Amino acid sequence: MSNVIGIKEERKNLKVGDSTLRQEFETTDMALFVRTSEESMNDWNRQRIVDALIRETYIDAGTAKEIAKEVEDLIFSSKIKMITAPLIRELVNTKLIERGLEQARKMHTRLGMPLYDVDQLILHPNKENANVPHGPEATNLTLAERIKKEYALLSVFSQETADAHMRGDIHLHDLGFVDRPYCSGQSLEYIKRFGLSLPNSIAMAKPAKHPEVLLAHMVKFAAALQSNFAGAIGWDSVNLFFAPYLVGMSDRDLEQLAQMMIFEFSQQAVARGGQAIFTDLNLYWEVPKHFENVPAIGPGGVTTGKNYSDYLRESQRFAWALFNVYLDGDGSGRPFFFPKPLVHITEKFFQTPGHFDFLHHICEVASEKGNTYFVLDRGETAKISECCRLSFKLEQSDLEDAKEPWKMRYCALQNVTLNLPRIAYLAKGEDTRLFAHLTEFIEIAVKAHLEKKAFIEKLLSIGERGPLALLAMNRDGSPYLRMHRVSYLIGMVGLNEMVQIHTGQEMHQSKQAFKFGLKVIAHMKLLVDKMSERYGMHFVLEQTPAESTAYRFAKLDLRYHSPQSGHIVKGDLSKGEVYYTNSTYLNNSAVLNPIERVRQEGLFHPLIEAGALTHIWLGEAKPSKTSLANFVIKTFRQTQNDQIAFSPEFTTCNACNRTSRGLRSICSYCGSKEVDGITRITGYFTKLSSWNKGKLGELRNRYRNQAYLQTKEGDTVLMAG
Amino acid sequence: MFPWGPPEPSIRNGKNGRAGQGLGFPPPGRGALNLTMVEIKGFLETSFIEWPGRICAVLFLPHCNFRCPYCHNHPLIFYPEEFVSIALEDVLGRLQSFEGWIDGVCITGGEPTLHPDLSNLIHQLKARGFPVKLDTNGSNPDIIERLLEERTIDVISMDVKAPLDPFSYRKAVGSPVDFHRILRSIEIIKRGKVEYQFRMTVVPTLHGMEEIQTLAKQLRVGPRFILQNFNPENPLDESLRRIHPYDPAFLKEIEHQIQAIG
Amino acid sequence: MESIKIFVKAKCPRCPAAKEIGIELEKEGVPVFHYDLDTLDGLAEASFYSVLSTPTFIIEDEEERELASWRGMVPTLQEIKQYLSLGR
Ligand code: SF4
Ligand SMILES: [Zn+2]
Repeated sequence: MSNVIGIKEERKNLKVGDSTLRQEFETTDMALFVRTSEESMNDWNRQRIVDALIRETYIDAGTAKEIAKEVEDLIFSSKIKMITAPLIRELVNTKLIERGLEQARKMHTRLGMPLYDVDQLILHPNKENANVPHGPEATNLTLAERIKKEYALLSVFSQETADAHMRGDIHLHDLGFVDRPYCSGQSLEYIKRFGLSLPNSIAMAKPAKHPEVLLAHMVKFAAALQSNFAGAIGWDSVNLFFAPYLVGMSDRDLEQLAQMMIFEFSQQAVARGGQAIFTDLNLYWEVPKHFENVPAIGPGGVTTGKNYSDYLRESQRFAWALFNVYLDGDGSGRPFFFPKPLVHITEKFFQTPGHFDFLHHICEVASEKGNTYFVLDRGETAKISECCRLSFKLEQSDLEDAKEPWKMRYCALQNVTLNLPRIAYLAKGEDTRLFAHLTEFIEIAVKAHLEKKAFIEKLLSIGERGPLALLAMNRDGSPYLRMHRVSYLIGMVGLNEMVQIHTGQEMHQSKQAFKFGLKVIAHMKLLVDKMSERYGMHFVLEQTPAESTAYRFAKLDLRYHSPQSGHIVKGDLSKGEVYYTNSTYLNNSAVLNPIERVRQEGLFHPLIEAGALTHIWLGEAKPSKTSLANFVIKTFRQTQNDQIAFSPEFTTCNACNRTSRGLRSICSYCGSKEVDGITRITGYFTKLSSWNKGKLGELRNRYRNQAYLQTKEGDTVLMAG
Repeated sequence: MFPWGPPEPSIRNGKNGRAGQGLGFPPPGRGALNLTMVEIKGFLETSFIEWPGRICAVLFLPHCNFRCPYCHNHPLIFYPEEFVSIALEDVLGRLQSFEGWIDGVCITGGEPTLHPDLSNLIHQLKARGFPVKLDTNGSNPDIIERLLEERTIDVISMDVKAPLDPFSYRKAVGSPVDFHRILRSIEIIKRGKVEYQFRMTVVPTLHGMEEIQTLAKQLRVGPRFILQNFNPENPLDESLRRIHPYDPAFLKEIEHQIQAIG
Repeated sequence: MESIKIFVKAKCPRCPAAKEIGIELEKEGVPVFHYDLDTLDGLAEASFYSVLSTPTFIIEDEEERELASWRGMVPTLQEIKQYLSLGR
């Protein structure tokens, strides 16, 4: 009997009245006995099939009875001794199919996973998202995600949208979190002013009086938010908003606070499924213009009588202390993976005393550990970054909000990515077809957004007693999640390959190819703007952090568009390490120096409203901090690039616990082979052992700005630095 | 911190109107420059390392008269003819397309001073407004003297290999060496006509604490003496592959100590 | 010979004047390319030249190297002609 699967389906949300009905259906039979969810045995009773069909689908009693009888006959005639509930359900489904009752079959679907898959999952790490560690908590998360994903594709989205996702025309991100919005940006002012009084929580905390308490509130709130959002949790102007609490604090205490903040947010296994909270700290050396004359909120949640412009010094000291902590790294000298520090470089930055020293300080961190993100806000635009490449330019209405900064909470409801190479295969070299398909794909993405919006609105309508209670909580006259201010992201993968398929050249290979790439993104931009107007929703283009999407699209195109796709996908086909180039990036392996990269990739950035980023891969080289600062300034002044980050590579040793530069197969200190590489995946640092195959392929191909010699046969020999 | 300080935050020609210009795509056609052939074997267009504070390009010239066991650019020394040479006009064309970004060119090798037309190369770069830094092993004091006295270059960096005695030096460079020429180069460089530094690649088996300190005392140049960690990846002497370099933090500490020796 | 690229937008107060200059130059035989940022080709070309404000004028030589540009403003015919070999 050991091969029988015990069925313990949760039925907790039932009213008492019909509980018997439900229990009975989940049957496991010994000589056709039924094992119920209370783990007792019932007799076989075909009426249960009838009841379930009537309850769950729209079919009439007569048909239901017929089906139940047929299934019963089948079971008896097959002389099955052991039958599982899922099997009965599938047998019923075949009868529905025979009758052409497709819609009823869909409604009667059972969500779940095969034994083999669960077994694999419990034993092996998840490679889809490198931010998920492997352990019982993580497995729970994955199991739940699988079921919600199926639920999303069957029930939240229309068949057309779901099919487009399954085919790989588009990618609906975080389907396993379909019942939450995607990512969000917060203001510390909210918890400073209202304290921590979350719906459903037992203890309520008044506004913090001390910086350590404020930090504790921030961490708790972040954890609560993480369980209500799928992705990143960003915090605006963290150093400034902490500043009123830091008056008179000694350097040592300040450093300790900075250390606590980074350690708290860097901890794996503190929250959801053991995932670190994907936290972004937005930092400023200056007091951002839009906060200068805003009354500062201090200890106890009351205004201090001063404006934020009076807290420049404390704000700067805290930012400096945070970077001291980043510079040291964790206990074994590794870079902190989270929280990510995003420093905003603005015109005012350059007018603020001490900016040169601070720039060198954060460039030293960039060189030593790689953490720093340089967000380049030119002109009058102010931006809030949510995750590595998702930022919001503040519009007039936001600047109004800035006078009451606790109102500044933003959200992107969902992220849908287009498979651009797919469009090029379909277009077969014809421009008109290419742009027509592109339009069609964007329309599907918009449809997906409308469907998700309707679903989230349904959940929110239950208010503080519903599943999204936290987002419905109303402390300042509007719900925490302000639906009318939400954005809807449309991302892209493989612009480079699309251009390659369509024009025969990759974007870095010729001006024509590059210009064609711009034209594609310009088309997307114009269309997305038009859609925003049509639906009164804020659709924006985004550079997808396509950690697994670039791999998934490449694999699917190998299936559907071979042999052509075999010549296009990047990576190593024989190892299965295939990928498309991320978003609008240029080929990772192309020998392009950092200047070319920031300049050329930057030309796309003004079209990509939700923010864009250029990576500069450093390999093992440790650059001079002053040279990096020089480069950052030039990028700010001479390009339109939105954001840059320098990414070094490290090897960490599991034997001696030390960390060295570069990716190596043996530890350069103790010679152990028990090593793991660390570098940036798409938007954050991780260990290589957790990467998916597509990403590994990309890593091998990365051009790391190294000198090389070229032999007369055309081979290259890398030179060591 | 750096002997020659940060650069003036120079933005030559930084008009914002140039973003679409010279994106690095090959230009439609280029008039041929008539330049003498300098054998350039490697060209790194931008480095954040070679010239602290600057974004510089690096040119690699072949051949060397030394055979340092830790040398990691040995293909350039042993079989330069196997590698394609890059035409100077191509180099200059590329550099020009990064106008406003690149604020220096570093010439390294191999040993650049072995090339008779080195000064022509430097001249071509200077004529286009690029400051030049030269790396040398110090074996050609006459050439160095001429370059420095005429201030043809902007920075010189000399690799020092061991404490300044003939025996140690011979051992460290792996080939016969006219030791007096090394001493003379050091003397010329220390006159300070242009910014300079002495750089030592530290290999655990060759250089202990004592050797480093001895050399520091002999040089007496304070922070102009810098240490660089040895890279075991692909050294000339294969037996060095098994040597683990010093802990970078430890080396940094030693560097700090010896830089205090003025 | 040099060519001129003029970038305009529908809702831009100074753009009509820019267009007129373009027409004037065309009459004199200068190759002029007009780009409207509200159209696909216009926006793509504008992105390539980092045109963030209208009207913008860019003069290029035969090898598509930029000789001069005016961004977010309208130069006089005289100013433009300085950069043209036309009639010189
Ligand atoms: S001096 Fe030594 S390290 Fe430098 S190139 Fe010559 S052999 Fe190599
Ligand atoms: Zn080790």
